Amino acid sequence: MTEPVSAVAPEVLIDVRDVGKTFANGVVGLKNVSLQVRRGEVVCIIGPSGSGKSTLLRTLNALETITCGEIHVLGQSVHASKADLNRLRTHVGMVFQSFNLFPHKTVLQNLMLAPRVVAGVGEPEARRRAEQLLAKVGLADKAAAHPGQLSGGQQQRVAIARALAMQPDIMLFDEPTSALDPEKVNEVLDVMQVLAREGMTMCVVTHEMGFARAVAHRVVFMEAGEIVYQDAPQRFFDAPDNERLRGFLGQVLK
Amino acid sequence: MQSSSHRWWWYGVYVAVLVAFGATLYMASKRIEYSWRWERIPQYLVSDEGTELKAPYDGFVSVADDGKSLTLKELKGGRHETISGFDDLLVGDGDLVFQNDPVARKRGLVAGPLTLGLWMTLKLSAVALVFAMLLGLVAGLGRVSRNPAAYALATSYVELIRGTPLLVQIFIFYFFFGTVLKLSAFTAGVAALAVFTGAYIAEIMRAGIEAIPRGQMEAARSLGMSVPQAMRHVVLPQAFKKTLPPLAGQFINLIKDSSLVSVMALTDLTKAGREVVASTFSPFEVWFTVAVMYLLLTGTLSVLVRRLEKRLAHD
Ligand SMILES: Nc1ncnc2c1ncn2[C@@H]1O[C@H](COP(=O)(O)OP(=O)(O)OP(=O)(O)O)[C@@H](O)[C@H]1O
Ligand SMILES: [Mg+2]
Repeated sequence: MTEPVSAVAPEVLIDVRDVGKTFANGVVGLKNVSLQVRRGEVVCIIGPSGSGKSTLLRTLNALETITCGEIHVLGQSVHASKADLNRLRTHVGMVFQSFNLFPHKTVLQNLMLAPRVVAGVGEPEARRRAEQLLAKVGLADKAAAHPGQLSGGQQQRVAIARALAMQPDIMLFDEPTSALDPEKVNEVLDVMQVLAREGMTMCVVTHEMGFARAVAHRVVFMEAGEIVYQDAPQRFFDAPDNERLRGFLGQVLK
Repeated sequence: MQSSSHRWWWYGVYVAVLVAFGATLYMASKRIEYSWRWERIPQYLVSDEGTELKAPYDGFVSVADDGKSLTLKELKGGRHETISGFDDLLVGDGDLVFQNDPVARKRGLVAGPLTLGLWMTLKLSAVALVFAMLLGLVAGLGRVSRNPAAYALATSYVELIRGTPLLVQIFIFYFFFGTVLKLSAFTAGVAALAVFTGAYIAEIMRAGIEAIPRGQMEAARSLGMSVPQAMRHVVLPQAFKKTLPPLAGQFINLIKDSSLVSVMALTDLTKAGREVVASTFSPFEVWFTVAVMYLLLTGTLSVLVRRLEKRLAHD
């Protein structure tokens, strides 16, 4: 990174300070959001629909702009006018609710494309990495398939492997299992759990409370564009010190 | 599903309508006492006239004793040239001929004027298509660009071209740009057709790019690709597949539109048709023949594109 920020302790990979976001149509997406994520930490973000979870996640790799505040990722100011976003994004993998695999390419080509054209990795090395990652997500036999021939769970595992192929320091997940059939959810969560155990720094927007409780180091509750409460999973779920969160949990865990 | 006997009945209706239509045309032409001379047409497609060998300069002819070669002695200068390998001699020993006079003929079948016109139309359309695709791609990218200058330029281009008749554009290219830039008729014709077709291709490209879900661009960007990289590797290959049918339609239009360049000094199929009509006085036969030749060109193209589409659909 070209611009390390000394004010931030080196192990803080994501530093969001007082960020606000108002969309062009006047809708407020984020209000006064501050959040720090340390290296190796898994942070789950939960909250009702429209509370700004996706917006927050997408500001971290500048898929979304911000109106005010400051975000540093890996020591670089993300929304500074001279930020090298393409370079930054190679260090920040993202997994989408709707997979967004490239349908005109095979699974293997999906994994090899960015390393080849962005990172300039040679073809044999890119292939080796891709095959290794496919084995890791349990899809070594699908290398030659096109995304359209895979189930949702398989596609999402390919999408995770595709993001990992850039060897990122941080992984962002936006409701990675929300588009899946219930019986396919666990195969994706299992892959994510392995990643978490290996020490990947992860921000996960999810409705899977079981996953959040088991894997997260910290859970964040958002409502109406604000972070209302955050805590370690045990206290977060069992004895949260917040009325609105208790109401929300009462609804979703019913 | 319709039963097959029903189907045959409707095919019968189809044929009957065609026959009735043809008969009406025939009767109508009878009324004006038009004498059909279809037998005259083939020679304009393929002629057995052979090729004429022409004198390279003014000079005197001396024919060899066996009559199989001739020598041309330059009138004002010392050049001697021997011409041989012909079948018919068109001059006599001692004749004075001038530059470009036919002196002998090689027999054999050669392409007639209509075939040459068809070839010119094909060449014109193919070259124009290449440039139209490039222009259309650039302008199409401009139309989806967030850069105000690129967007405004592309939009002005598309609106300007789509808002004026092709024939007027051809006149402008031929008389204005052709004169100012000293373009040949062929270059001016290609330029006019490419610029015209490019504007339509730009809109096809824009629609194709916009039809690709936003998530594709976002996924590519999230992996660190720049916009041009994402366009080249992710969006355009998918958009191209989607735009193939309308692009094929546009190419077919291009072939048909190319008939308008016959207003220039360029002998395409339509111009060749006009010239043949002038020498045969058989306008009906000639124009029907020309129409069928265009149809052959566009029909072949449709078939090729359909095949390509099928192949792309498989992977
Ligand atoms: N591009 C946009 N333009 C205008 N408003 C937007 C845009 N994207 C999101 N919003 C609005 O911003 C608010 C927050 O949206 P966001 O997608 O971040 O919510 P979310 O918490 O991810 O919800 P969900 O659980 O449904 O995914 C919502 O009110 C949404 O309608
Ligand atoms: Mg969302």
